Amino acid sequence: MSLGFALTILLDGISYGMVLFIISVGLTITMGLMRLVNLAHGSFAMIGGYIAGYLTQGGTNFYVALLVAAIIPGILGGLAEVTVFRPLYRKAELSQVLLTIGIVFVSTAAVTVIFGAFPYPVVFPEYLTKPVDIGFRTYPAYRLFLIAVGGVVAIVLWYLIENSLYGAKLRAAVDNPRMARAVGMNVNVLFTGTFMVGCALAGLGGAMGAGIMSLEPSYALKYVVLFLVVVIVGGEGSFKGSFVAAMSLGIIDTVGKYFFSQAAPYLLYVAVFILLLWRPQGLMPAKSVA
Amino acid sequence: MKLFMRAAAAAVLSLSASVASADVVKIGLIADFTGAFAVWGAQFQQGVEAYQAVNGKTVKGPDGKEHEIQFIYRDATSAGPEKSKQLAEELVLREKVKFLAGFDLSPQAMAVADIATQAKVPVVIMNAATASITRNSPYFVRVSMTIPQHGAVAGRWAAKNGIKKAYTIVSDYAPGYDAENYFQKEFKAGGGEIVGSARTPQQETNYAAYMEKVLQAKPDALFMFQPAGSPSIAFVKAYVERGLKAAGIKLIGTGETQQIFLPQFTDDVIGVVTSFHYTETNTNPANLALKAQVTKMFGDKAIPDIATVAAWDGTGLIYKGVASLGPSAEGIKYVDFMKTQKIDSPRGPIQIDANERDIIQNIYIRQIEKRDGKLVNIDIGKEEMVKDPWKLDNPPKSN
Repeated sequence: MSLGFALTILLDGISYGMVLFIISVGLTITMGLMRLVNLAHGSFAMIGGYIAGYLTQGGTNFYVALLVAAIIPGILGGLAEVTVFRPLYRKAELSQVLLTIGIVFVSTAAVTVIFGAFPYPVVFPEYLTKPVDIGFRTYPAYRLFLIAVGGVVAIVLWYLIENSLYGAKLRAAVDNPRMARAVGMNVNVLFTGTFMVGCALAGLGGAMGAGIMSLEPSYALKYVVLFLVVVIVGGEGSFKGSFVAAMSLGIIDTVGKYFFSQAAPYLLYVAVFILLLWRPQGLMPAKSVA
Repeated sequence: MKLFMRAAAAAVLSLSASVASADVVKIGLIADFTGAFAVWGAQFQQGVEAYQAVNGKTVKGPDGKEHEIQFIYRDATSAGPEKSKQLAEELVLREKVKFLAGFDLSPQAMAVADIATQAKVPVVIMNAATASITRNSPYFVRVSMTIPQHGAVAGRWAAKNGIKKAYTIVSDYAPGYDAENYFQKEFKAGGGEIVGSARTPQQETNYAAYMEKVLQAKPDALFMFQPAGSPSIAFVKAYVERGLKAAGIKLIGTGETQQIFLPQFTDDVIGVVTSFHYTETNTNPANLALKAQVTKMFGDKAIPDIATVAAWDGTGLIYKGVASLGPSAEGIKYVDFMKTQKIDSPRGPIQIDANERDIIQNIYIRQIEKRDGKLVNIDIGKEEMVKDPWKLDNPPKSN
């Protein structure tokens, strides 16, 4: 096996992992922060994807479409947090699961009615659909784009959480929400804001990742397991954990498909099983968000 | 005025008399109208309604009377075979249907075999493509296709057209294995070599790693069998993105490029060769009639596909049966009649196999081209009157 070939597999795994990361990071933080089992997270990614698909098919600039695909799910997420999710925080897990899975069904039906049952394409700019020369081989430009955007998002988030006041509050609230309230922090506003950012990122990921994870009405249900796996493997509430988990899962999945293509569908879950036996709390359990 | 009234009364009386004496032939059509496979039910219904609009809703029997043909649609809700069985029982016992029809998925058709046999109700299968199905009941007649028909013809075509080495990637479920088996078998029989194969999860959309492996194996062609929709679209995208097309590896498929799915593909799909039994651009008079009728009734966006065509042909077969045997013959008599039939289908000439009650039809080799700004399948070859190869390999057990 040549070095170039190993690099190719690595790039494939990382680009896939980046999409998983962008979509799941919001879920990780909100689950850690609010102890909310939100199965409807994939719906926000799906909504972002369909918005981008609708706009780009109509000729809107791709990057403008990406922006809108992040903003609208963000706003919807904020509205949903205040109206639907907030009353759930103190309820039992079963109520949370039932309500959020209900949202998945509603969003699936809504998307079918509006956009139809067929897969729905996002139109990527011409230059992203072509392979480019990266020295040792030609490689799809689209995948490089995913890696670049995912990298930027990860760095920005890391900086925010580590170095900003917002990040400090977030970490405090995850560690001990009661104490955070007691010292006078408005935890509700913090939750809403974080939820909005999480949903916006999901929308962005759904739109960008449409080339790997195709948009169809069953999207929210089909991929929710993957998103949850990222959260659980990374450790609830752990930003770094979700990054490491998304990358590992992306690479394990790609390597599995390459070397053991017959077993690929199960291999990912075997890996998750072993990882969780080893670290039941996730790779990097959140003592704090960072 | 009085005269007119009397004439009108007489007309009404004679009309009601003829209605009273004619029988209604009920046909229960079971298919998925909601859920993941909802497209099938809608397409079946369009095919039936288009046929009835062209040929009328009544059939003149051998007794010279007009008999109404009435379709009763039941939604199998994309659920398991149990649902289809329950619907069939209801249709046979309560609605007293003379025929059953429809069935997009194989398990749904298999589930009604016992009911059909016991109640002696002919079943016209309009899609379900698992090769063995027609052996499950002597009342099953299939007007659609079998997967081995497509795979075998694709394999023979590849071997004859300068392809020496091939790689196969199929979806990991029974139809995928059928396609893989028959492509490989016929390709090897024609002197070709299989340099690798893979099976992918049914809902896969991330094919990068599989394509890398194909690149390494350097075949002349890649044979795919992927579910229509997201998987096949993603497959073709990865094939181009990964440079397989640029490397001159030919992509061969079967039903992935039906016209109904083409609008979701990008131009990457141009040049893909598929082996299939219905090409929408063919100019058979029956195809033109079907297309014109579907457009007239359901608008420009309605596109006939294999389900529409099979429903059209299946309805035609039932019409002919009633025309020649009347509305109340025994079930097995209708089946015997159907076994002798040759039909000018929108897809081309078809015939029902007298021994197997299965479809015999031309399999066309088509290539995707862009015409007038639209992606279309264009016939570039055909194999005439192909029987199901699986049945030839597995002769019925004599007992």
